[in-house]
Amino acid sequence: MGGRPAVEEPWLDIRRPSSPWWRRRDFLVVFLPLLAAVLTGATLLGVQGKILLPFERIVTLEGKMASKRDYFEDPEVQRLLLKHRIRVHISSSGSREVAVQDISKYDFVFPSGQPAGDLITTQRADTKVYRPFVSPIVLPTYRAYAETLEDAGIATPQRRIGPGLPLYYVLDMEKFLTAIERRQRWNELGIRDHGTSNGNRILVQSSDVCDSNSAGTYLGLVAFTWHGKEDEVPDTDQQADARARAIKPLLEQGMAGSDVFRTYISPEGTGIAPVVVAYEHQYLTYQAQYRAKWGKLDTDRVLLYPSKQFVTQPQLIALNEEGDRLGELVTRDPELRQRAMELGFRILDPAGEVASDQLSTFLEERHIPVPSMEGDNTRSSMPRLRYLERMISIVGGCPAVDIPDVQPLPAKPPSAAAAPGVPE
Amino acid sequence: MSWSSRVRTVRRSRTPRRPAKGTRRPTKTLVALCLAWLLLGTAVTACSTGGPEPVTLRVLASSELADMAPLLDDLREETGIKLEMEYRGTVDAGDALASGSYRHDLAWLSSDRSFQLKRKAAGDHGEPPLATSIMRSPVVIGLKPATAERLRRTTPDGQISWADVADAAADGSLRFGMADPRHANSGLAALVGVATAAADTGGVLRPQDVSCDRLRGFFAGHRLAEDTSAGLVDGFVKDRNNLEALITYESELLALNASGKLREPLEIVYPKDGMVLSDYPLLLLDPARRAAYDTLVEWLKSGPVQKKIMDRTLRRPIDPAVPRLPRLSRPIGNALYFPDDQKVVDRLLADYGDPRRDRSARVIFLLDFSGSMRGERIARLRAVFDGLSGADDSRSGKFVRFYRGESLTVMRFGGRVLDERSVTYESPRDLDRLRGFVASDGFGTSTAIWSALDHAYDTAAFEVRERPGRAVSIVMMTDGENNAGIDLDTFVRRYRARPPEARAVRTYTVRYGEADTGELDRAARTTGGRMADATVQSLLSAFKEIRGCHQ
Repeated sequence: MGGRPAVEEPWLDIRRPSSPWWRRRDFLVVFLPLLAAVLTGATLLGVQGKILLPFERIVTLEGKMASKRDYFEDPEVQRLLLKHRIRVHISSSGSREVAVQDISKYDFVFPSGQPAGDLITTQRADTKVYRPFVSPIVLPTYRAYAETLEDAGIATPQRRIGPGLPLYYVLDMEKFLTAIERRQRWNELGIRDHGTSNGNRILVQSSDVCDSNSAGTYLGLVAFTWHGKEDEVPDTDQQADARARAIKPLLEQGMAGSDVFRTYISPEGTGIAPVVVAYEHQYLTYQAQYRAKWGKLDTDRVLLYPSKQFVTQPQLIALNEEGDRLGELVTRDPELRQRAMELGFRILDPAGEVASDQLSTFLEERHIPVPSMEGDNTRSSMPRLRYLERMISIVGGCPAVDIPDVQPLPAKPPSAAAAPGVPE
Repeated sequence: MSWSSRVRTVRRSRTPRRPAKGTRRPTKTLVALCLAWLLLGTAVTACSTGGPEPVTLRVLASSELADMAPLLDDLREETGIKLEMEYRGTVDAGDALASGSYRHDLAWLSSDRSFQLKRKAAGDHGEPPLATSIMRSPVVIGLKPATAERLRRTTPDGQISWADVADAAADGSLRFGMADPRHANSGLAALVGVATAAADTGGVLRPQDVSCDRLRGFFAGHRLAEDTSAGLVDGFVKDRNNLEALITYESELLALNASGKLREPLEIVYPKDGMVLSDYPLLLLDPARRAAYDTLVEWLKSGPVQKKIMDRTLRRPIDPAVPRLPRLSRPIGNALYFPDDQKVVDRLLADYGDPRRDRSARVIFLLDFSGSMRGERIARLRAVFDGLSGADDSRSGKFVRFYRGESLTVMRFGGRVLDERSVTYESPRDLDRLRGFVASDGFGTSTAIWSALDHAYDTAAFEVRERPGRAVSIVMMTDGENNAGIDLDTFVRRYRARPPEARAVRTYTVRYGEADTGELDRAARTTGGRMADATVQSLLSAFKEIRGCHQ
């Protein structure tokens, strides 16, 4: 479908084989009132955005993306886009995959983070970049695990407002990685005091680092927490390779599962995926859905916020004019922005700043505790792409993509010049 | 379904043979109604004569997915998609796919790990086929209730582990069925699970974790192997009076229990030390079939179908929101990691893959009975043999203990070989005799290490000539320096002059007391073995460290 962005609605086609009988009076007597009724109904529905008006051109855009398909798969987002006569057909793949494989047949790509986005924009000049929202990387886990980490002095509950058990913890990354490096097991850390048992080493499960932005971001986080201060980023190939080999044992999870967050929220999650890498919005959406269904929070599933943060910034990269129109819509259309916020994203305001108050209000309305946004001040830029790429290829055992050593694009929050919708 | 196919469907319904005059009006009314419905953009299919446009997809499927057949009829009815399934063992299917030339539109495997590993090993870094997990099932242990009860009594917390099963298999009290890991995914998942538990690192298996064979005791109980999990269940039912356990998917065990084929249902045990899951991914091999693939995946992952899958196959839905049946509500324990290194899997398969291999190994224990071993040291050595005979109830002890069918030779030496006695472990009395050999109190006055080892190679050479294919290894323990007989260089010269099959017998040395590290290490390495140091760990730990090392 890639080479066919616009699809003519099919019923025009059907009417073509005309034969004289349909003009006859007895047919029209039946048909015309029906047609009138149908058109009235269809118009009403069309106005509401539920279906398309007939005879109107609908554009089907081909998009490739990873975890941000949550956004385009949302029925409400689809309905809102249909109002603008856009349908999005999604091809799923990991974010890095989005970047390193052929994208010529797509109208837009939507990698979950900046490194993959940069990878594309450094290779293609004819692109426009839109940054509608951000979502921090988090480590969803279970209460028993968070409390075990708390007992060991590795995690602390976030300062919170209101009653109830804490849902959000701050994870001291240095202490956490030290425990991983010592090959400590959950049982050794005392998890049996919290009603469960796990003989596995402490480890965070992620999707395949070779193709997932969240896994790549976590790798970046580990690389810059372990053996060094945050600003001690590798700036030669040799340094990057050495750092990758040093952190590889901290990330050894064998063959990665796909969609680890979905596994985490399944009833079997506590045994299969007790600590995973995900985006904040995935967890917040889950809690909102849980609350809507059960009338209470899932207090067994909690979030660890790494003490050092990389905010991941999805980039909608338009590859042609139609993609461009979509980019404009998702960054500027008030209804689409509202919906993104309802899906747990921290949407960016026109100045490119995180509009956190809106998310807070939304969560408060649904009686979901609001995670502290304090961490935002300590966030740092992702490493230069070339070195992150080298580290990913060493840790993940995938071929490296050779990238010229260019300065990364400005990190979030984007400056006014890189405000949403402004082409770069 | 693409728009063009919808159009075709409608057209077909509108171009019947010219109706007879008298029937014209109803036809036209129908056409009008259809057009009206069309304008609403709904119920397109209501206007066609034969349901949705039929699509046929050729699928390379794991043999255990044959139980999806009833659902495939629903699929055809509801979506028009017909799946032509060609069933193969999962591992074999993965091999076929790894070649990169696909003969099917889709593949539906119990697990694509084997395929992914081989892809990676072959250096294929292109875009992998799109894969979507459809359901899950852990590979666990079904135990006869009496066996489960007996094993549980030996555990401190009532939770049965792979180690407990290995211990019972080694002493002959537990015989089990498990699919051939070279062909069936359940066998491979079980093998990785039990090997991970035996390595006991808490992490994913690395090459160094599988360099020694810790599962000989476990596999001593492996009495039934089949190429498919369905064949395995049938075989178990047929031979149920001679088997105590069945290791396969949770779903197969639940289905067997529900079938009424067993007098009493098997107790399903989720091993305390973890299990490996299968997640039944559906892979798109021919990108041109993407539209049908999307429809198929959407259908399979829809709530009602997920529930139907669970009800009929007893696999766990991939959809987190589908409430589990009571039988599927028990915690499955912790998932073990699956290695992402083909070398690890190859090593495991080489050690345990062939169910018809000669499983009975012979170990020649060459033990220093010179004067310096008197007293505490000899007491410790005797405790080692008690431990390896089953008294060591640590997890590692349960895995590396002596096992049924294993042949054990004890050579005591001082200034010469004092005696040489062998048993093959068939009953507990054989282990009593073995312990009797090391209980004897005759000590030598000098230490002829290399002459004794040379003698052990004479015995080993005879053994491998008489019974090729049998694993033979030598474990030599000494606490002092060589002060009689030939020197190390002479031993090495003689070793090198032996025929290849004798040279293939490896020596593992245990350094104790004042023994010479350099010489013991060199001797072991010369034969391809290595040294374990009992001066930095207990004597028992040193013996356990090299247990099962034979290659």
